[in-house]
Amino acid sequence: MTQSGEPVIRVNDLKKHYGDVKAVDGVTFEVARGEVFGMLGPNGAGKTTTIEVLEGLRSPDSGTVEVFGLDVCKHPGSIKQRIGVQLQSVSLYPRLTVTELIDLFGSFFDHHVPTKQLIDAVDLGERAKAYSMNLSGGQQQRLSIALALVNDPDLVFLDEPTTGLDPQARRSLWDLVKGLQEKGKSVMLTTHYMEEAAELCDRVAIMDHGRILEMGTVPELIGRRFKERAVFFDTSPKLPSEKLAQLGGVTRASQEDGQTLLYSKDVPATIGALLAMADELDFQPHNLGIRQATLEDVFLDLTGRALRD
Amino acid sequence: MKTLLGLTVANLKGLTRDRAALFWTFFFPVMFVLLFGVLFSGSGDSSKITVGYVDLDQSAASAQVRADFALYAPILVLQDGSLDAEKAAMQNGDVSAVIVIPAGLGNVAGSTPGRPLAMTIYIDPSQSQTTQVVQGAVNGVAGGYSMAVATNGGAPALIVAQPQQLSSTNISTVTYLVPSILAMALMQLGVFAAVPLVQQREKGILKRMGATPLERWKLVASNILLRLIVAAADTVLIIGVGMAAFHIQIVGNLVLAAGFVFLGAGAFLALGFMLASFLKTEEQATGVVQVVQMPLMFLSGIFFPFNFMPDFMRSIARLLPLTYLGDGLRQSMVNAPQVAPLALDAAILGGWLVVCLAISARSFRWE
Ligand SMILES: Nc1ncnc2c1ncn2[C@@H]1O[C@H](COP(=O)(O)OP(=O)(O)O)[C@@H](O)[C@H]1O
Ligand SMILES: [Mg+2]
Repeated sequence: MTQSGEPVIRVNDLKKHYGDVKAVDGVTFEVARGEVFGMLGPNGAGKTTTIEVLEGLRSPDSGTVEVFGLDVCKHPGSIKQRIGVQLQSVSLYPRLTVTELIDLFGSFFDHHVPTKQLIDAVDLGERAKAYSMNLSGGQQQRLSIALALVNDPDLVFLDEPTTGLDPQARRSLWDLVKGLQEKGKSVMLTTHYMEEAAELCDRVAIMDHGRILEMGTVPELIGRRFKERAVFFDTSPKLPSEKLAQLGGVTRASQEDGQTLLYSKDVPATIGALLAMADELDFQPHNLGIRQATLEDVFLDLTGRALRD
Repeated sequence: MKTLLGLTVANLKGLTRDRAALFWTFFFPVMFVLLFGVLFSGSGDSSKITVGYVDLDQSAASAQVRADFALYAPILVLQDGSLDAEKAAMQNGDVSAVIVIPAGLGNVAGSTPGRPLAMTIYIDPSQSQTTQVVQGAVNGVAGGYSMAVATNGGAPALIVAQPQQLSSTNISTVTYLVPSILAMALMQLGVFAAVPLVQQREKGILKRMGATPLERWKLVASNILLRLIVAAADTVLIIGVGMAAFHIQIVGNLVLAAGFVFLGAGAFLALGFMLASFLKTEEQATGVVQVVQMPLMFLSGIFFPFNFMPDFMRSIARLLPLTYLGDGLRQSMVNAPQVAPLALDAAILGGWLVVCLAISARSFRWE
């Protein structure tokens, strides 16, 4: 990560309310040049609202929002020349071909990348003459990215670029994003997949109910809360929480969706105590496993619920 | 400019690749022309022309002239009556022209030499074939009579045919219908424009465009440009089919007619924009657009002459903008009798255009 010079995005105490709904409720962050910055949060957290304010599509209620050091409310035109936008819902003219759409969008900008080059970059060569409505979900998403790159932008916004895609299509999109980073572009993306945030982002902001709860690199976020490792197993009836918390080495325990999580400083001691307890209470700890704490754990710890509710 | 054209071409491609849109824009009106054309052409005896005959002289000489017309009996049927009655008959379409034998015909032999006596004929220039036949017959009879007076030793005298224009409803049903169908097509073109707009908003296409430096006015302008191009194509197509299949003749003022085509397309496009401002989903739009266009189509007197409609329907029709587009197009294209003066037609359409555009400008949502 190269953090040189002015940040490309600077947001200070941004608020946007819809009636009683505080979609974005005082958000502050910066994105450095060349950085891939992720907003991780469940549906309704306010990710889209934040990103669309930055894109100049919605006006903020209060706070300052700068892109390339320019106020987005005052200089929407010159900012739009230099950013690439992918909206959350894929939205294209259904009866134009891939080539035609890229040509059309290119014509909106002062400078644009040759169409052929873009089509190759997103690997749509074989579908260049297909109508956008006949593309698969993953192909549509790649076309959408091609359109976001049509002006060779310095900063790219991707709003949930992989939601609804199968694992293979998701992988190929991840490769595209990594390619952008290698070219030195700044990227701001939103996601509600923690693996995605962990895989792609230099820094992550965890967002819920219109607020940023925590921000930092993924190891920072995990390390700040978890020195422990997690012992997990399936339980159908809930176990008494006090007893779980008293098991050897356990610092915190939680039960969610039929799964029990024990954060432990001393995994062998914890497992021994657990098996003794299983004997005593007569239950089977199915699918018992051990892992490092993840962003998911961070989210659970921050909000008391799993990310994918 | 390049952007504007590119966008218009993109929209045009979207339209021509959409079978449903193609059907409504081009096929549907042509089908109407063909259907009505087949239904209504060939009705009535077209080999003979009925002409009103007014004898203001009532002398032996005028009786002679009346007898001379017998020569044209195979093509002309004379219907005697008073001047007012025959002119009214012509306006109602019961006769195709009116011939007036002037008073003083009997004295023509004694009249001042060199002062021609005018035999007035009322003709409708849009009926070029009828006009030619009637003028030919009148010239023949008048010439023959002058000659006869001279050879009988009278002073040389001159009777000339003096044509006067009078609009007749006696244009064929097909001729009446073709501009009406064009009016219908232009109305649908405009009103139906609401659907792709709502679709583009619902899909977020308009929003996606908003994230590029493209100015909004270009987006609006390209939509207008697209519809005007299609309006021109529709006009050529519908009139062309009418001319080719049913020999309708466009006799009016072409510049005026083109003006009405674009004014009408503009007014209904503005109505389409206005509808798009209030409709949220594509399904809603397709439904509402039908609910708007159906009554317009059937209550605006475009498929049956305005004068034949019952009173209550006429008062409804007077409220509908399509009535005035139909009227303007028929007057300017085939000299059909008017429902309202052309200036009023234009003013009403212009009023709709301005009001609908103003409402759209205030209420249109881009997302
Ligand atoms: N245009 C809008 N009108 C009303 N409420 C909205 C609008 N946009 C977003 N919201 C509300 O704001 C909250 C945040 O939405 P959003 O920014 O889309 O979240 P996310 O992208 O994280 O899922 C949600 O409760 C949503 O219902
Ligand atoms: Mg969202």
